[in-house]
Amino acid sequence: MPEMTAPKTIELRVLRYCPSRDSAPAFGSFQVPYTDDMSVLQALQQIKATLDGSLAFRWSCRMAVCGSCGMMINGEPRLACNTFLRDLAPDAVTIEPLQNFPIERDLVVTVGDFVKKIESIYPYVMPKAPKTIEQGTYLQTPAEMEAYASFADCINCMLCYAACPQFGANPDFIGPGAMALLQRYSSDSRDGGQQARLDRIRGEDGVWSCTAVGICSEVCPKQVDPANAVNQNKSKSALDFFLSRLRKETVS
Amino acid sequence: MSESRPYLRAQPRHWWAHSPYRAYTIRELSGVALALYAAILLAGLASLARGPAAFETYRQFLASPLSLLIHLLLLAAAVWHMWTWFQILPKTMPKLVWRGRLIRQDVMSLTATVVAVVCSLLLLSLFILVGAYL
Repeated sequence: MPEMTAPKTIELRVLRYCPSRDSAPAFGSFQVPYTDDMSVLQALQQIKATLDGSLAFRWSCRMAVCGSCGMMINGEPRLACNTFLRDLAPDAVTIEPLQNFPIERDLVVTVGDFVKKIESIYPYVMPKAPKTIEQGTYLQTPAEMEAYASFADCINCMLCYAACPQFGANPDFIGPGAMALLQRYSSDSRDGGQQARLDRIRGEDGVWSCTAVGICSEVCPKQVDPANAVNQNKSKSALDFFLSRLRKETVS
Repeated sequence: MSESRPYLRAQPRHWWAHSPYRAYTIRELSGVALALYAAILLAGLASLARGPAAFETYRQFLASPLSLLIHLLLLAAAVWHMWTWFQILPKTMPKLVWRGRLIRQDVMSLTATVVAVVCSLLLLSLFILVGAYL
């Protein structure tokens, strides 16, 4: 725990919303003593422990691994656990829930739609030709793994969704995070589920809402580069559109 | 009874005019400059089809200070569009693996930009040479 006698204090302006009491969110202000090694998450924990026990926010690992503590810090989507107060002081810090998501309470947002999107893209390896245990494991070279490895680093923190103006305009857009996961499986040399996933990402709610703004990749705390995942799949989706005209079984 | 009453805040109306989205907006708008330049070339072609008098008027317009200013602005926009286009090029490409390692995105952008600049210069010198000897 940070020392309570720390001489420096910082103002945190936190967007509060209690569904049973408030008609709309409004800012609350807290003066928090801080030390140079304190993160924004630690400041929120301190508020909850000493100033206002009703403050709601998500967190778990405190080390940028779990992806729970994504929030807007001074207007930017950041993980609260790897954003340090020393970099924001002495000005007041504005903390809001992730942009583009419905607020459940205070800094907690609704994640149900995001989880459904992730489930919808077949987030598992669908083998080209299933093997029996006797036939052995599915092999892969290091170079084949390199082609998708960075996309496997996604921690589902949803910062990319908060940064995406097209997701803000169309909440049904599959969005950068789910596309990064899709790319992780579709570019796996052991996978044979590409066509099933391409069928999922057609149209406006698929990849085509993306206009290559690219900020999703800039805010990603894991350098996953979701913009690359979306745009690679735009090319694949376009090719799939033309090829589907040639395929007999899909002509209606 | 559930107390859940999710509150969705509206997207800021002028998001495209503010950082960090402003750079994206300028990049996309610079593409309109390319369309404007294409329209100027098309107007030249239309003048040519209408006869020598119309083409002469078009040539006089091209030589005017206003036209020079417009062309300078369009050139700046086109160069900016090229530069920023190649900056996002790696985002639109499959990952390139060479000798088991990923090729860095800034290397991909730089290579593409250099190739584009060299090709443009070659094309320009070809036109100058052809113009000088024909």
